[in-house]
Amino acid sequence: MTTKRQTRKDNGTCASSGSYINTGNGSTFMPIDIGHPEYIALIEPDTAFWSLVKHEKLSSVLTEGKLFKAYKKKAGVFTEEMDMLRFGLKPSAVYFNPTEKCNLDCPYCYIPQKMRHDGEHMSEKRLIKALGLLKDYFKRTLPKDTLPQIIFHGAEPMLNRDAVFAGIEQYSEDFRFGIQTNATLLDDSAVDFLKSQNVSIGISLDASDAAISDRTRINWDGQGVHTKVIEAMERLRGYNGWSVICTITNKNMRHLTKLVNFLHQKEVPTCLMNIVRCTLPSSLEVKPNDANAFKYFMAALERTYELYLETGRKLPVGNFANILLAIIAPTARRLMCDISPCGGGRCFFALTPNGDLFPCSEFIGLSQFKGGNLFKDSVEKVLTSRPFSRVTDRKVEDVEPCSRCAIRHFCGSPCPAEACEMNGGMEQTGAFCEFYEEQVRYAFRLIADDKHEAFLWDGWGDDTKKTFTMDLF
Amino acid sequence: MKGMQKENIKITKKNKTKKDVIAHRKSCDAKGTGLSHYILMDKKIK
Repeated sequence: MTTKRQTRKDNGTCASSGSYINTGNGSTFMPIDIGHPEYIALIEPDTAFWSLVKHEKLSSVLTEGKLFKAYKKKAGVFTEEMDMLRFGLKPSAVYFNPTEKCNLDCPYCYIPQKMRHDGEHMSEKRLIKALGLLKDYFKRTLPKDTLPQIIFHGAEPMLNRDAVFAGIEQYSEDFRFGIQTNATLLDDSAVDFLKSQNVSIGISLDASDAAISDRTRINWDGQGVHTKVIEAMERLRGYNGWSVICTITNKNMRHLTKLVNFLHQKEVPTCLMNIVRCTLPSSLEVKPNDANAFKYFMAALERTYELYLETGRKLPVGNFANILLAIIAPTARRLMCDISPCGGGRCFFALTPNGDLFPCSEFIGLSQFKGGNLFKDSVEKVLTSRPFSRVTDRKVEDVEPCSRCAIRHFCGSPCPAEACEMNGGMEQTGAFCEFYEEQVRYAFRLIADDKHEAFLWDGWGDDTKKTFTMDLF
Repeated sequence: MKGMQKENIKITKKNKTKKDVIAHRKSCDAKGTGLSHYILMDKKIK
């Protein structure tokens, strides 16, 4: 299989037989301190292969070769798996913005303020037409048994409720629908409709206390919307298909543990606690530093574990669960931000109310990343456009220091929009690095202590098969 | 409740066994479509 990552060892010019690790054509295993009292990690970065070795056994593991022989037998399979994950997928989801408008003015939003304030709705007629065009596209590209996803996103999609609901009704057999909303407009009838259509619902909440949450989740008059969100959460209680997104900023990071208690008490099935994206300059005002953010984030994760032990009920934090999956089952990832190239333009793309197509919602405010228009161009043509390929061609191998980082395929060097806008180019890192380093180290500590299943959602491995096991005593 | 207690005990017992080398990996069809603004869970929706 020829891949974009093909290296010198494939072309037959090097005489090394690859018998030894870390020299010649041998595999590269990098020892990584994971901060565990007993274990150190050995990572082969290209295939995302890892092992945890007791400190006192490191020398014998490195010289006896049992682990490396077992790895060598599987290296080809792992290489193909990573290549498929990184370069072989087709889009199966669309982030569909049915309006430019929002009733909130959160400081970290990636949609430009003017657009959110003065923007336009997509008409119901155009929305129905767009769904029809997307249905036709996916019919051409996806296997018959795969149902594509449409996620109504924003700005605030519920501001264009009638059009959105009409689209969901008309195409209920053709797509799996989701909606990400600020929850301020989720009244009883809206929740009843979305539940009846099995729509996956994501809502946004940054803290359990109004005083904290209202620092960032505010309307155009500067008033917080915390109370409205809590009311919507009560309406959603008992429904399996909902989740809460918290954006970690310097305004709320000290209160994440309290938020975990709150979400668990409200029986939230799953949540995301994402570090703020810094694509637009206004986000920088609320950007926390990596070390502080991770300290509080890890405390929140630890709290989910304590609550699980106390009650038997998990609260998976989806973005961290995804890092764990990147390690133990790379293809089982649900989020495609922490793989390189990221999912933008290759696993999903974003649609704006006037039909413009972008690799990801994160690029909607950046006109140079418009790849075409759904009503004028074929999606296939848009996917190969230069604005899209700038994103889909961005690989960790081209980014410093990621190209020499052992955990490059557990982190993926997010996010290209940040790299470009905040740091000046696609070959740059995004806004955070140490935050991801620490997450990976923590994930390995959990694996070493065999606690990691408590951080993953039940049934995550139902469709998986074991491809490697080595437990040496 | 009894089931939960059993699960807790299982977790505690597991932690007592420490291997010299731990390495495992699973694989499946890649279907990820989520991003930092949204995650679609494949839980069965009631």
